[in-house]
Amino acid sequence: MSTAHPESAAQLLYPPNVQFNASRIYTIKFVSACFAGAVAGTLGLESWLGFGLFLLSTLLTSACLYVKCKAKPAKYMAGGFWELVNPGQENMFSFLLLWTLFYGIVHVYD
Amino acid sequence: MASSAVSLYLDPQIRDWVLFPITLVMILVGILRHYVVLLLQNPPKKQSKETIREQRALVRSQILRATSAFSPIAPTYYKSISQSLSQAYGDGSFLKDGPPKGEDKPAPPNPLTDPNAMDGMMAGMKTQMVMMVPQMVIMGWINFFFQGFVLIKLPFPLTLGFKSMLQRGIETHDMDVRWVSSLSWYFLNFFGLNGLYRVILGNDNAADGSRDMSTPFAAAAAAQPQPGQVQDYNKLYKAEQDNLEFSEGLYSWVAADVETRILKKYGRTI
Repeated sequence: MSTAHPESAAQLLYPPNVQFNASRIYTIKFVSACFAGAVAGTLGLESWLGFGLFLLSTLLTSACLYVKCKAKPAKYMAGGFWELVNPGQENMFSFLLLWTLFYGIVHVYD
Repeated sequence: MASSAVSLYLDPQIRDWVLFPITLVMILVGILRHYVVLLLQNPPKKQSKETIREQRALVRSQILRATSAFSPIAPTYYKSISQSLSQAYGDGSFLKDGPPKGEDKPAPPNPLTDPNAMDGMMAGMKTQMVMMVPQMVIMGWINFFFQGFVLIKLPFPLTLGFKSMLQRGIETHDMDVRWVSSLSWYFLNFFGLNGLYRVILGNDNAADGSRDMSTPFAAAAAAQPQPGQVQDYNKLYKAEQDNLEFSEGLYSWVAADVETRILKKYGRTI
């Protein structure tokens, strides 16, 4: 009964569930990017260190998601492994925004 | 005096009266824009049963064909649905005005004069206007009120090329590019708040500013297929008939040899 064809496997996905999963995962990534920005700003990290923190937080988020998927990411979202790790372009900008904001509040202003 | 170890001291009142208000205003304007677009959308016009049947008839066969290679329905059902659809397309019994009468088909109405298509185009243009106007207004507001002083220091370095854009209004040569004016805070917000809108307002929200800028042609192209409501459904039905035949050739039932498979799974063979 195991279908090895990709089209038949794609046929078995239920679209509302796929969409729900995708938006949940997006929310998780966004919130983690915001927290990473806040942490980077508060700690006063400069250029490369800040981006390094962003990378670290992305890896941590994907590790948590991986555990939540019970080690089978293909079952819960389209695109498998890369989808898990990819933080999304908009989250990069959100990280930048919050990083700048907290850096300014904590370190620039008295 | 241009060493980066020296840092400027900024008045905390700048933070209270510029930093937070700009962000707050942008968030609120984005939410407002989303709801304005929602309110401006006309509800779809009520169409007669025949018109809707004509438009949806194609979708029925497309659904059937989409899974024909690994079809979940048994051969008898698949063949009977396929053949009845095919015959209906040939007869033209799904068409709005009944089967085609003769050779004189009316010319498809001009999209500029046909009222149905005009509504579609107007709606698209209205949303475009609503999207662009707030952005320009906010930029003008920021340039007018918050000009001429340093707002914040960026945590990451940038090249000198950005200096003219980000430090507009502050005429210094030696100051680090990292000290920026309020306009750059506007840009940071512009790009960074999209994620927030997506979380608050849901996936397809109308508050997304940067998406308009990156796909002006895609938006214009998306407005184009709407005049396609004047398509000749008869021709489409004929094409769909051919497609149905082709898919029937491709068809195979997913459970065709399920008995053998189950027996094999439990280790017994016929």
